[in-house]
Amino acid sequence: MTNKYSCYVLADPNKCTGCKACELACFAEHNKSNNGVGYTVGTVTIPVTPKLYLTKTKAYCMPIQCRHCEDAPCLNACQKHAIYRENSQVIVDQEKCIGCKDCVLACPFGAIAILPIGEKGKLKLQKDREVVKVASKCDLCKDIEGGPACVRVCPNDALELVDANADIEAKNIKTAEGLYVSRI
Amino acid sequence: MRVVEIDKNICTGCRECAKVCPAYAIEGEQGEPQTINTDKCVMCGQCVQKCKSYVSIVTHGYEAYDKVRKERGIPESVKEPLFAAHNVTHIDEVKKALADPTKVVMASAAPAVRTGLAEEFGYKLGTLSNGKMAAAFRALGFDYIYDVNFAADLTIMEEGSELIERVTTGKGKLPMFTSCCPAWVTFLERNYPELSDHLSSCKSPQQMQGAVQKTYGAELRGLKKKDIFNVSVMPCTCKEFECSREEMNASGERDIDVVITTRELAWLIKDAGIDFKSLKEEEFDKPLGEFTGAGEIFGATGGVMEAALRTGYELITGKEIPDVKIPSVRGGEGFRTADIKVGDLTLKVGVVSGLKHVVQVLEDVKAGKLNHFHFIEVMTCPVGCVSGGGQPKLLMDTDKETAYYNRTHTTYKMDEELPIRKSHDNPSIKKIYKEFLKNPLGEKSHHLLHTHYVKGPAKTVK
Repeated sequence: MTNKYSCYVLADPNKCTGCKACELACFAEHNKSNNGVGYTVGTVTIPVTPKLYLTKTKAYCMPIQCRHCEDAPCLNACQKHAIYRENSQVIVDQEKCIGCKDCVLACPFGAIAILPIGEKGKLKLQKDREVVKVASKCDLCKDIEGGPACVRVCPNDALELVDANADIEAKNIKTAEGLYVSRI
Repeated sequence: MRVVEIDKNICTGCRECAKVCPAYAIEGEQGEPQTINTDKCVMCGQCVQKCKSYVSIVTHGYEAYDKVRKERGIPESVKEPLFAAHNVTHIDEVKKALADPTKVVMASAAPAVRTGLAEEFGYKLGTLSNGKMAAAFRALGFDYIYDVNFAADLTIMEEGSELIERVTTGKGKLPMFTSCCPAWVTFLERNYPELSDHLSSCKSPQQMQGAVQKTYGAELRGLKKKDIFNVSVMPCTCKEFECSREEMNASGERDIDVVITTRELAWLIKDAGIDFKSLKEEEFDKPLGEFTGAGEIFGATGGVMEAALRTGYELITGKEIPDVKIPSVRGGEGFRTADIKVGDLTLKVGVVSGLKHVVQVLEDVKAGKLNHFHFIEVMTCPVGCVSGGGQPKLLMDTDKETAYYNRTHTTYKMDEELPIRKSHDNPSIKKIYKEFLKNPLGEKSHHLLHTHYVKGPAKTVK
């Protein structure tokens, strides 16, 4: 086992205009196979439920999403074992989740929302006809071609897939370069 | 009149729409809800295509979604996301007419509609749905399924003849501009009224279609024009404005009663419970639904030019054009030019795609720098009508290039596969001139198919 950190998407509030293209793309990519979402708006038959959330104040805006924490408070808080780790990423099993909100309270970033889910283009319902709501958070577009959709669609390049391992390596090299004096 | 609007309660003030607005009509502070300056707006709907600020169940709530849908007159069966920038819908008027037994409801759709419609039902971008669209109109209860492609062929007869007249007799200003795009016409009327004589006097195919459906079409079927209700389906948000212009009543009635967009046609189909995927392909009604490849390519940038050249060549030289395909006028966004040999004459033509690119062209025309040009096509939307403001809206703009490419490709493929590819060879066009119009630019054509322009904002009656 290597000590590799998980990757995550981070937005730059200095570049973000708050257009919500990321939220819509996130929803579209995650609902293609289950809910028949195609390329255009007219193929959508359920409410838009993203896995990242635009946060807007008077001064700035940016989408907030999961940091895929190494010691994940959400995973540790989940009593139904519905949050697990796969290839360093923290993933919610929406089949197991009961929407108890422990993870919501545990997350220090507010990156998790409890949202309805669809099935075959319709909202999933409980016995009492109430919609099923479960934890919804970034899964880094696991199993989706091209990687995180939010990063791909941002018109202002405000989102970046952060790889802390690469960051450390690059900084290490810079530090060494600064100290190194050519012997030739 | 209300055409394109931004809902202040939903707009996040990202101003991404302002980046695509060719008329610089979107005003407001960054981060604050935006407003559309209607004196500047040309109603092209590119903001509608761009806007991703949707009514969210997370931030606005379920009730807000239902409220907005109701406010906009969108049927309850529609569950798709609703956005801040939107066009005013008219599908209730269509439903009312279809339910009215005293009305004879005629459908006609623009060339580009059939390159986008299927996308709203989950098909691949740019899937052709010509026959399914005709079947859907019938299933919806339209009495006659006609086609704006027919009037596109008719436009070529009139506009081609007008160009030849301007070039050979010196009557009328050159370069002549196309006049099929109402957003472009609106832009010129308001901002360069001194150049309005350069516009072709031809009405757009939509308005020609409306005028002939209520006159020739009524005669053919023994109908009263007041009983006819013309529904036009367009890839364009500005077409409703065009049909509402006060002078668009050459038949004696409103020539086109209502316009809906490609997206709204998909709503109608879904609302009626029609399973689009299982529809069998059907034919359009003749004669006002018969068309050629030349009519179909109006949907792509350069298409009007190419169609006009196919006919113009043969009218001027009396010989068959060596190749109907004219790649030099095809292309993407921007301003491109070509020299086309037509017998002894070299036609200097230009194609503007994307309204932002027309300002320099207009300034150059004003300065006399383009006096050697004969004919310039102008389309407001990025790659012509296939990328219009009323076309299916993409969930992800990263698919835009593919959507534009595929819809354009489909347009040209359909042209290639059609047995007749020149407007003047369309049997129904020959028939309408023989039986009704007599000659291009003749008296009847002048009255029904040609128009005049205003210097400033046009008046509407709706």
